[in-house]
Amino acid sequence: AQDTYTLRLAETWGPNFPIFGDTTKRFAKLAEEMSDGRLRIRIDSSNKHKAPFGIFDMVKAGQYDMGHSASYYWKGKVPETLFFTSMPFGMTAVEQYAWFYEGDGMKLMQEVYGPHNLLSFPGGNTGVQMGGWFRKEIKSLDDLQGLKMRIPGFAGEVFAKVGVSPTNIPPGELYTALERNTIDAVEWVGPALDLRLGFQQIADYYYTGWHEPATELQFLINKDSWNKLPKDLQAILKTAMRVSAYDMLIQSQDANAKAWATIKEKYPNVQIKHFPDSVFKAMYKANNELLKEVAAKSDLAAKIIKSQEDYLKQTRAYTNISERAYLNTMAEVE
Amino acid sequence: MTGIVMFGAALLLLMVGFPVAFTFGGVALFFGIYAQGMDLFAFMPFRIMSVMQNKVLMAVPLFIFMGVVLQRTKLAEQLLTSMGRLFGGLPGGLAISTIVVGALLAASTGVVGASVVAMGLISLPVMLAHKYDKRLSTGVICASGTLGQIVPPSIILIILGDVLGLPVGDLFRAAVGPGVVLIGLYIAYILIMTRFKPETAPAMPADHSLSRKQEIGAALLAIIPPLALIVVVLGSIFAGIATPTESSALGGVGAIVLAIIYRQFSFKMVWNAAKDTVSVTAMVFAILIGATAFSMVFSYTGGDYLLEDWLHMLPGDHWGFIILSMVVILILGFFIDFVEISFIIVPILSPVAEAMGVNMLWFAILIAMNLQTSFLTPPFGFALFYLKGVAPPQVKTIDIYKGIIPFILLQILVLAMIIIFPEWFGMTDLATY
Amino acid sequence: MRWIIKLDEWLATASKVCGWVACGAMILMALNVFYDVVARYAFNSVSIGLQEMEWHLYSVVFLLGIPYALRTDGHVRVDVLYTKWGQKTKAWVNLVGAIIFVIPFAYLIATYGYDFALDSYNMGEGSGDPGGLPYRWIIKSVIPLTAFFIGTAGLNMVTFAIRVLAGDKSYEVEHSAEGLA
Ligand code: NA
Ligand code: NA
Repeated sequence: AQDTYTLRLAETWGPNFPIFGDTTKRFAKLAEEMSDGRLRIRIDSSNKHKAPFGIFDMVKAGQYDMGHSASYYWKGKVPETLFFTSMPFGMTAVEQYAWFYEGDGMKLMQEVYGPHNLLSFPGGNTGVQMGGWFRKEIKSLDDLQGLKMRIPGFAGEVFAKVGVSPTNIPPGELYTALERNTIDAVEWVGPALDLRLGFQQIADYYYTGWHEPATELQFLINKDSWNKLPKDLQAILKTAMRVSAYDMLIQSQDANAKAWATIKEKYPNVQIKHFPDSVFKAMYKANNELLKEVAAKSDLAAKIIKSQEDYLKQTRAYTNISERAYLNTMAEVE
Repeated sequence: MTGIVMFGAALLLLMVGFPVAFTFGGVALFFGIYAQGMDLFAFMPFRIMSVMQNKVLMAVPLFIFMGVVLQRTKLAEQLLTSMGRLFGGLPGGLAISTIVVGALLAASTGVVGASVVAMGLISLPVMLAHKYDKRLSTGVICASGTLGQIVPPSIILIILGDVLGLPVGDLFRAAVGPGVVLIGLYIAYILIMTRFKPETAPAMPADHSLSRKQEIGAALLAIIPPLALIVVVLGSIFAGIATPTESSALGGVGAIVLAIIYRQFSFKMVWNAAKDTVSVTAMVFAILIGATAFSMVFSYTGGDYLLEDWLHMLPGDHWGFIILSMVVILILGFFIDFVEISFIIVPILSPVAEAMGVNMLWFAILIAMNLQTSFLTPPFGFALFYLKGVAPPQVKTIDIYKGIIPFILLQILVLAMIIIFPEWFGMTDLATY
Repeated sequence: MRWIIKLDEWLATASKVCGWVACGAMILMALNVFYDVVARYAFNSVSIGLQEMEWHLYSVVFLLGIPYALRTDGHVRVDVLYTKWGQKTKAWVNLVGAIIFVIPFAYLIATYGYDFALDSYNMGEGSGDPGGLPYRWIIKSVIPLTAFFIGTAGLNMVTFAIRVLAGDKSYEVEHSAEGLA
């Protein structure tokens, strides 16, 4: 009989967190089926390990063999991990997958994670994330001055540069804080996940996204755990990760579309808004300045930024004459 | 099975009287090392870190600080005795005042450790000084200090919203009715019970130098400053000035301002208040850390899978399912805490309920009501430990265990009312499409 | 016996110092949160760094408070049997409990907590949020530090129990002063 291998996976999410949690379950099922039961994945959600943002450390130390999380959460530990989730004004999901698998993405990602005894793989995409829930309309840059917004990470830095005050509110108090105007705006994910938190009941303006055009989750694997697996199981694991990541992109599209239909029907107060051009231009400029600062601090970051910029330039030219041209045409005939 | 044996061991060892926190931690240590080896404890720093970064729990030291300052400056006593005087010759005035203050605090926090301990500091010494029965006093404090779990804002409701995929606002609105009914029943219970046993809650002695009108006037005047402080705490949340957690800091600073106004302020008072706060806070968090070690060993040795297996055996018809699932949650609440229940049990029950066409909002309120009870049920109800931790030595654990029973029964009564008459609370038991 | 008394007093001082630090952090935390609320509401000024400082201070309060509360007997006990027992029995409960529960628990958290903090130091970990605090290892190292002092406080329980057994001290004296802490 052949050996069976059980990999313990810790995920950032709670046990029945939709879409993200479905991805790990689908991944575990695929791996087990393809290996005819020789590969088992045991998933521990955040209620069990109690360390949603400790996945990196736990997998690094071998306390878990695998993790499911998002690369940009580790920016405080390893600044170069920022680039493998989604960047403001960056690539769309398809463009970014192309960068990962056909461009230099995968190679650069292993260069960042390798020194920490880790392998990282794309772990499923949310599609374009929404720009957030606002209680008042943003008509100009002035409206952003001193605006208190729950917006973490790099996008928060971009917002801060154009005058927003990023504010740290625990998730459990977000709803009350927004309802009572303790804060003015909240950035979360997209319709399917936002709907659960009830922001549509207390904020009328739902802004379109720019800061996370293609949020990619990640599978982390401890290298020692990986090396213990025979070649065929490694291939199965890789395939299962890739398929479940792709499935998440599809599921996100479906779930968000349905949730958006619900919001439109049940919450007519909600209006979709775009930031004015002046705001986008200021944020675009702020984003570029911040990237320059990051690049100046780390050669590896500079290399990744350049790779993404070059790839985006080339691939976007084609996106423009294919997808964008088609969507524009549709917009005209409808 | 390790998990089950561990519960038995913890229960026995708790009786020996070694500090609760370290009994949980120590028992976890033995069973953890026995079942999984030392390295299981490499998870502990992560679990402690998640308590450290849980800013909602910051309300615990902040509320305790407010309570200690109000107690040390005698303002709490003034508030409660004056409120008690308003009841004239009626017994139970202090207990009802405690419930009212508890309800106000409940509307500003959802952290049990914060409100039970603050209430214990504020009102237990006053009630005992006025010859209240120990059991009645501790029961009232634990019950009203736990109201924060059902009265919004509430952590239980937020977690259930997340687990069940319901908008938090809907849950908050739906919880107001049951919360108000519960508060009303607590008060009604005190009124009725004290008619039969007035000696358990003697009326405040009347001040014969004053007419009744003057007495009421003096009482109202004395109530205003400390009550205003509590209203400021609450108001700061409603006005959006502060989050619920932050509002407790306003309470602490406000209590110091009151102390200055009443010429009770000294740096020594503040330092001593800080010392009391640190000690009580440490007691609460040591229990949390001991309990997190305990639940870690429980789940990593397969306890959670065992529970899942049991739950899959629940019956399939509508009422059978509702009632049995409530009984299961109530019983589990004796042993494990609400977060574990929300994340382990609720995800198993909810698809079944959904398939039966149960109104999930109603179902969520039932669970929340039920989980509130889990803080109060002996032997592991944390609210009971917390109160014991701040109670004077003459109050024994057993007094607290016995004192809470009537209030647990009242909670079960409200739960039954929501099950049988959901329309009284503006809900239906079945989903309406 | 004389060296036991010396050790006992020395260990008690260690726990008290933890308590003083926690008290300072307690007052700073209340002021910090108060300042953040006022600054945000009245002046629309928000600092993530200061908001993170809140939980840094709060962590110091409850972590370093634990050894302090051990020395002052502030940790809650189930007293069904404990109050009925005499000094000697109480001393044995505390002696054995400290040796088999407190000290090993503290030892494990100290060892794994040290690795936890060290890893953070080696990575130069800081906050990932705009304007957040750097040097995350400092607050993480409060975990092994606390565990160390819980260990010394556990040892202190042992030395105190020995003094009680020798008839040099008794538990009532230290017990819940003023009904509180
Ligand atoms: Na987001
Ligand atoms: Na509440």
